Amino acid sequence: MALLNTLLLLLAALCIPGVINRTRARLAGRKGIRFAQHLYDLRLLLRKDAVYSTTTTALFRAVPSVYLGAAFVAALFVPVGDLAPLLSFDGDLVAFAYLLALGRTALILAAMDTGSSFEGMGASREALYGMLVEPALLLTLGTLALLSGYTSFAEIFDDGLPREVQLIIVLLFAAYVLTKIVFTESGRVPVDDPRTHLELTMIHEVMCLDYCGVDLAYIKMAGWLKCGALSMLAANAAAATFGLRWWVAAPLAVVLTGVSVGVVESTQARNKLARNTTFILTIMALAALLFFTAYLLQLNIGIQ
Amino acid sequence: MLFFYTLLFLILTAAAIFAAPLRCKAWTALGLVSVGALWGVIRASLVLAGGGVPLLWSVGGTLFGGDTGSMDPLSAFFVIIISVGSVAATLYSRGYLAHTLPAKSPAHVSLHYASLTVMCYAMLGVVCSDGGFSFLFFWELMTVASFLLVLYDAQRREVARAALSYLIMMHIGFVLLVIGFVRLDAVCGSGSFASLADYFRSHPAMPLYVVFLAGFGMKAGMFPMHVWLPEAHPAAPSHVSALMSGVMIKTGVYGIIRITGALGDLPALHTAGVVLLVAGIVTGVWGVLLAATQNDVKRLLAYSSIENVGVILIGAGIAALGKAAGNPMVALCGIAGALMHTLNHSLFKALLFFGAGNVLSQTHTTSLDRLGGLARHMPLTAILFLAGTAAICALPPLNGFVSELLIYLGMLDGIASGSNILASAAGLAALALIGGGVVLAFTKLYGTVFLGSPRTHEVAEASEADNTRIAAMALPLAGILFVGLFPGAAVGLATRAADFFVRTPSDAAEWLLTPTLTAVGRTAWLLLCVVGILLWIRRRMLRTRRVTSGPTWGCGFTSPNVRMQYTGESFSEGLQSIARPLTQSSGDGSPVGKGEIFPDAHTFEIGYRDRIGRLFSAWWVELLRVINQRVMRLRTGKINHYVLFALAFLALVFLLSILNII
Repeated sequence: MALLNTLLLLLAALCIPGVINRTRARLAGRKGIRFAQHLYDLRLLLRKDAVYSTTTTALFRAVPSVYLGAAFVAALFVPVGDLAPLLSFDGDLVAFAYLLALGRTALILAAMDTGSSFEGMGASREALYGMLVEPALLLTLGTLALLSGYTSFAEIFDDGLPREVQLIIVLLFAAYVLTKIVFTESGRVPVDDPRTHLELTMIHEVMCLDYCGVDLAYIKMAGWLKCGALSMLAANAAAATFGLRWWVAAPLAVVLTGVSVGVVESTQARNKLARNTTFILTIMALAALLFFTAYLLQLNIGIQ
Repeated sequence: MLFFYTLLFLILTAAAIFAAPLRCKAWTALGLVSVGALWGVIRASLVLAGGGVPLLWSVGGTLFGGDTGSMDPLSAFFVIIISVGSVAATLYSRGYLAHTLPAKSPAHVSLHYASLTVMCYAMLGVVCSDGGFSFLFFWELMTVASFLLVLYDAQRREVARAALSYLIMMHIGFVLLVIGFVRLDAVCGSGSFASLADYFRSHPAMPLYVVFLAGFGMKAGMFPMHVWLPEAHPAAPSHVSALMSGVMIKTGVYGIIRITGALGDLPALHTAGVVLLVAGIVTGVWGVLLAATQNDVKRLLAYSSIENVGVILIGAGIAALGKAAGNPMVALCGIAGALMHTLNHSLFKALLFFGAGNVLSQTHTTSLDRLGGLARHMPLTAILFLAGTAAICALPPLNGFVSELLIYLGMLDGIASGSNILASAAGLAALALIGGGVVLAFTKLYGTVFLGSPRTHEVAEASEADNTRIAAMALPLAGILFVGLFPGAAVGLATRAADFFVRTPSDAAEWLLTPTLTAVGRTAWLLLCVVGILLWIRRRMLRTRRVTSGPTWGCGFTSPNVRMQYTGESFSEGLQSIARPLTQSSGDGSPVGKGEIFPDAHTFEIGYRDRIGRLFSAWWVELLRVINQRVMRLRTGKINHYVLFALAFLALVFLLSILNII
């Protein structure tokens, strides 16, 4: 079961970019590129030669592996619906958050290693947004712990979440906050725009400017995995409102993130940079609100 | 007899070090410290293995009637921290001070090493005292020794200033402790920590608790008493910074944990937990915000020490709240996390300060805006510093992650089991914010110091530090790796030390934590394996590809130079834009005048000051100075006046006693 879980998660992570592209194309009235175009691009990257900047050190070469490794191990904690994940222990939500932080730190250091002002700019922004999004992520996961009474993903989503009607709204709210976190963490509009990197307002893409070939392929895969794992959490929280089954959660993760990112990218412009901090601080405030609502509702149910 | 022996020891130490030839003073000090450390580690291991609580000394007829010293598991845990930190710092000092020796007089160097040795022993004495007079005695000895250590470069004005303000602040804390112990002695007839529990049971606990908390918090660097740290650390030589930041401030943490433990199961424990949690959150967030805005390596590290004390206090607060709510798992996770973080911080902060020392001695600057690209010139220091950076950011698979995970687990468990939900959530959000802030601060530090291109030519010509210093840095690294990769074994020590607090038998405690810690250890190894495999795959793939090198891609701009790199200041600009109300920027410099057609060299320096630090230069300091001036008029220098003052004092006491006031 654990293997099925991992396979489904990987599959979902690989499908999400395709769904995003399709949604964007359809909304723009285009036919769009192949569904699996990003995988073809990946194959292309893996066959390419490599160029490294003379300023960089061995750290720069090791970072993509660390980034992908951390994202992969983090993904192993995430259950798909009611399936058991490969790794699970009490407090694994913290391990999940800190493995993502490990990847982020590695990438920031690699960007600083190039000595380029563009990449330094991206690194500084990534560090700030990472700092602000972390409390939101942990508070949201804390809310799930509060509602279920468990502290590991496996137990929270395996029948741990309550079915009371009053709490449905809280779970949907949690899914909403988690989706917003997906937007921020995977560098999507309105925080960042993955389609360009030559503007001074870019964050994630600009950090990888000096990577090519295998290394860039690793970074892309890590990004998909990270996005997939977080989307799966959002989908689990949403699906928990009507009985959490893996065959519900897995497609829901793909559709939820794929369609929402596609729609937002087709209809909204990217934030002005100064508004980004406001956007992320809003997520933090929403997470605090979410926790407090869950707390009050639970008290209320307890009293009844 | 204890004090006689101590005096004898002081004289012998000083004699040995003063008599040694200049080149051998460091080795003599290292020998003396190692003896104490070895003794400490062996005794502590026996205690932690369950060998009872040995009585170390017992003196009668002191100020508080007589007191004892013994080593219970909590003391033993701190003895290990102190021993490891002291040996590493002394070993490091040899290489670090070597180039300054010709400029100093032998007596000066001897005094430094004698203070270093005394400091290490005094810290051992502090954590082994059961309270009362011997505790205060060793506490003061530790303060004075560390004051002398900070003063190594006394000819620099800012060093003398920082050392003096350190001494004054420590004595304010000391006075608070004296008040606490005198009150305790007056009520219970004994000034030991054991009688503190009786006091708390029979009297309102909070006032005395707060007095002790303030006294210990001064040493630990608790907000708002942290202002001495960012002044003293940059002024002190790096091994002293490492010793003070890694080990000495932990004696304050030790005191706080002791007095919290003495509260037992009283209702006041809940209040104390809230106080500690709030203090921890404020200290941590304040420390990390200021750390992220600093542009000096050692100041940044000093603020990060404040932040880590905040994390430790959050753990202790959660533990107290959990115990008060009758939730043993929360209490255990909190206290074990706090103790583990104390140990972990002593390891990685020592490593980082040693690294900063290498940077300072090889490049003669600690300003972020002048450094850069050191990874090429000092590869070993860079690798060791990277390990310290990853550890302090609490990234898996290193040790910081283990302790922060325990604290998080305590809070999540509190939330999940429904005890202290809101307090736990506040701690959770704050710890997450602190965690993210540390990543920002330390990627800034590492990125601008070791990565990129050198910003000045002096930095470009730096060479690697000598081998003894690298060896001294490898010692904490071994601890970091051990705790990170075998968390079960390391946390076992902390749960033994936490025995007195949680009162769950330690085998039950291990049973509660073992599944998680085993899994954490496995995850760490899994992560290493996965990264290793990925690196191997990458290597295999690149073998058949053409690998070339070229300049950094400048987005079409063809002549980027090193001055265009992101600096430390610009790296934290985004954070400053939202944290402006908390930090106070100060720009010093001279603008280019209108009449200057060919401008001379101008300098401009920007820095971020601590708003709390400003409190200590505010109106009331001026008031104190004025009062002091008035009082000084009494110092006439004439004996007859002084006799008159004595008479007046006696008359006053007489008058007050017949009026039954005293």
